[in-house]
Amino acid sequence: MSLLSVENLVAGYGPVDILQGVNLTVEAGRIAVIVGPNGAGKSTAMKAIFGLAQVRGGRVLFEGQEITRLPADTLCGRGIAYVPQERNVFRSLSVRENLEMGAFLKPGNIARRIAEVLTLFPPLREKLAQAAGELSGGQRQMVAMGRALMLEPKLLMLDEPTAGLSPLYMDQIFDRIIAVNKSGVGVLLVEQNAKQALAIAHTGYVLATGRNRFTDTAANLLANREVAESFLGG
Amino acid sequence: MTLLGFSSYLIALGTMSGIYALLCLGLNLQWGFAGLFNAGIAAFFAIGAYVAAILASADSAVHLGGFGLPVALAWPVAMAAAGALAWVIGRICLTLQGDYLAMASIGIAEVLRIIIKNEEWLTGGTRGIAAIPRPFETLLPAPWNNLAFLGLIVVLVAIVYLAAERAWASPWGRSLRAIRDSDVAAAAIGKNVAQFRLEAFVLGAMVMALAGALSAHYFKFLGTTAIEPLMVTFLVWVMLIVGGSGNNRGAILGAMLIWLIWSATELLTNRLPAEWITRSSYIRVLLIGLLLQVVLQKFGKGLLPEKPPRLVGERRETR
Amino acid sequence: MAALSDFINLYLLPGLVVGCIYALGAIGISLLFGILRFAHFAHGDMMTLGAYLAIIFTASWGWSPYAALPVAVIGAAIVALGLDRAFYKPFRRAPGIVSVIASFGVMLMLRSAIQLIWGVDVKTYDIGIRFPMEFGLLKIAPRQVTIVLVTAALVVALHLFLTRTRLGKAMRAVSDDADLARVSGINVEQVIRWTWIIGAGLAAAGGVFIGIQTKVHPNMGWDLLLPLFAAAVLGGIGRPYGAVAGGLAIGLAQELATYRWFSDEPFVDPGYKPAVAFSVMVVMLIWRPTGLFKGRS
Repeated sequence: MSLLSVENLVAGYGPVDILQGVNLTVEAGRIAVIVGPNGAGKSTAMKAIFGLAQVRGGRVLFEGQEITRLPADTLCGRGIAYVPQERNVFRSLSVRENLEMGAFLKPGNIARRIAEVLTLFPPLREKLAQAAGELSGGQRQMVAMGRALMLEPKLLMLDEPTAGLSPLYMDQIFDRIIAVNKSGVGVLLVEQNAKQALAIAHTGYVLATGRNRFTDTAANLLANREVAESFLGG
Repeated sequence: MTLLGFSSYLIALGTMSGIYALLCLGLNLQWGFAGLFNAGIAAFFAIGAYVAAILASADSAVHLGGFGLPVALAWPVAMAAAGALAWVIGRICLTLQGDYLAMASIGIAEVLRIIIKNEEWLTGGTRGIAAIPRPFETLLPAPWNNLAFLGLIVVLVAIVYLAAERAWASPWGRSLRAIRDSDVAAAAIGKNVAQFRLEAFVLGAMVMALAGALSAHYFKFLGTTAIEPLMVTFLVWVMLIVGGSGNNRGAILGAMLIWLIWSATELLTNRLPAEWITRSSYIRVLLIGLLLQVVLQKFGKGLLPEKPPRLVGERRETR
Repeated sequence: MAALSDFINLYLLPGLVVGCIYALGAIGISLLFGILRFAHFAHGDMMTLGAYLAIIFTASWGWSPYAALPVAVIGAAIVALGLDRAFYKPFRRAPGIVSVIASFGVMLMLRSAIQLIWGVDVKTYDIGIRFPMEFGLLKIAPRQVTIVLVTAALVVALHLFLTRTRLGKAMRAVSDDADLARVSGINVEQVIRWTWIIGAGLAAAGGVFIGIQTKVHPNMGWDLLLPLFAAAVLGGIGRPYGAVAGGLAIGLAQELATYRWFSDEPFVDPGYKPAVAFSVMVVMLIWRPTGLFKGRS
């Protein structure tokens, strides 16, 4: 049984369907990445799974149980954490408070979990009392991921975590995603930096105009000439 | 009730409905057309009422004037005064959005009410302005004079309605709706957002002032109780929401319907035991508040929802 | 010296007391705006409700208004939860302006219900005459001390709640970004309920203080609305601490404006006190809509 499987998902905003029947799965403890050109529906797929876009067809299963159209806090309770691309920290709250908010549904043992997050993201250690809005983009992304990990999720969904970051931070974030995954958390990643993302992933999905174009192991996709020419910038 | 009594009741009902219809049409220009949240309708109503009353009533020792001018002159001046006030307020406040404009406009109306209450030399304060002449009252015997006044109001409502309908379908109305729905997008295609908003605000205020002037001349007396926010601001909002904002017919329907409910329940509650009569008006306000909630939740767009107009040029093009 | 003592006892101290009352109301307006994104026009009437709930206990059982205060706070909170469930919850996903219109309706309903139940006459709590305490120039009524101290205690309690408790932090998180709060697993509805409880509870406390300070009448909520909004706007709407500062500033400004600053006449006629609040509000709205302090965008 897969951790997450999306079957024939049709979804969009208002009257417009952006996804026209998308399939994808994430296996427990693995990294799956969705790549594709702008407007392919990568972020929409993630939002639809999390109930932020309207689902008009298909279904979403988590650990074999249907979770289509369930409210966000229920999904968090089941063990899915989601980090949106933009506005992903509480700007006026301190870093520590941001992490605590991630644990809203699971209030026990907060100190231990904050310690774990700090081991994963050491730069946050000295920023704990600072307002998250004052941090740099890369540090904010760490806060956002840390907040999501406070839920101790089985699946972490990251929407373009490296967008707008300097190459240095980009490498750090990819590195941290690997570390998170090594601790047993399944990861679903949407990425613009397709080559780097495929390099750390197990499975890859190439979406174009709301449909699956290629589905294969990440290594095979990287080796596929057609994929490389059309979607990975040569 | 005698036939004469009943017919004069109907005339009174129609007169008040007409005055409220004008207020609703004015509010529809601001809210329905342009999305401007004016919670200070009472301010423009009051300006219209007081300017008309001071200009048209006979010389008095207790307040400024009166100047005994004919209504044909007093009413346009009253409207112009409200328009001027709206222009000044609009220049300052129309950059504010939604809730903020509501707060500012409610504040303007309150300050104006305080001025009217305190400046006795100008407005007569709480003693008010008495003996305001009603058109036709010396020309015709009762009840024909009242009927003629009602006729005048109907004509005025019809004129404002037709003008508003034309405006709704015109490029001007279309631009206003575009601004209402997305001022950023409208500004991006080159609309002068501030100017359009200001025009709608001023025109709406002038219509409200006309309603105020008519009301002063109808009651023949004008005091601070006539400009209470409950009766002049909030009741009008209920009427427009119930009737359907963005729809001129809805505005008129809402005014007539709510005023009918308001005055018919007064007839009913007057039959209650004496100790309840004083409280009956509160029951009515409670029910009006509840009605507003029910309409908001069940018929969010009102009884006559907004419809996109037939384009003005359409007929010409098909010919 | 007599002039200074007059200034302090007749203008400064009353201004401070009125400011505390405004602060208690403005906190709720500011919190609710931060969480629910609409200006709650029925908030003045929540204060009236609190004042009248206390009257049940002072009039029927001869309670002291201070003893009735907690009961009035709880009662107002319960009413607010009911009103939210019936009249505001259906519009959570609608534009904020729809909730503003709904709050017009709630305002009409609350006020008329109060008039229906308690009548329209001015009422007072029977607290008897207590002589003011004199400290040199100062002449302070015990009730003034109580009002200021209880307000200060409530503000400190609010601060501790917002910064130390899980729910209080969640409230700030929702105010910061409601969508992010939702996807982080924060129970936004629970936060909203507590916002109503705190907002209405503080408003009720303010209402009881008005009764203790002067008198109670059904229209007082309407008269409060302008200074409350002015205070919330001055402090930067959505910011509860700003609302406290804004409330104090508006209260002091209203009272001090009537002082004989430049002649033997009051600088501003006492009849125009609400205009002072309004002027401050309009200047702020145009000059710095985000409030005096670094406001939210």
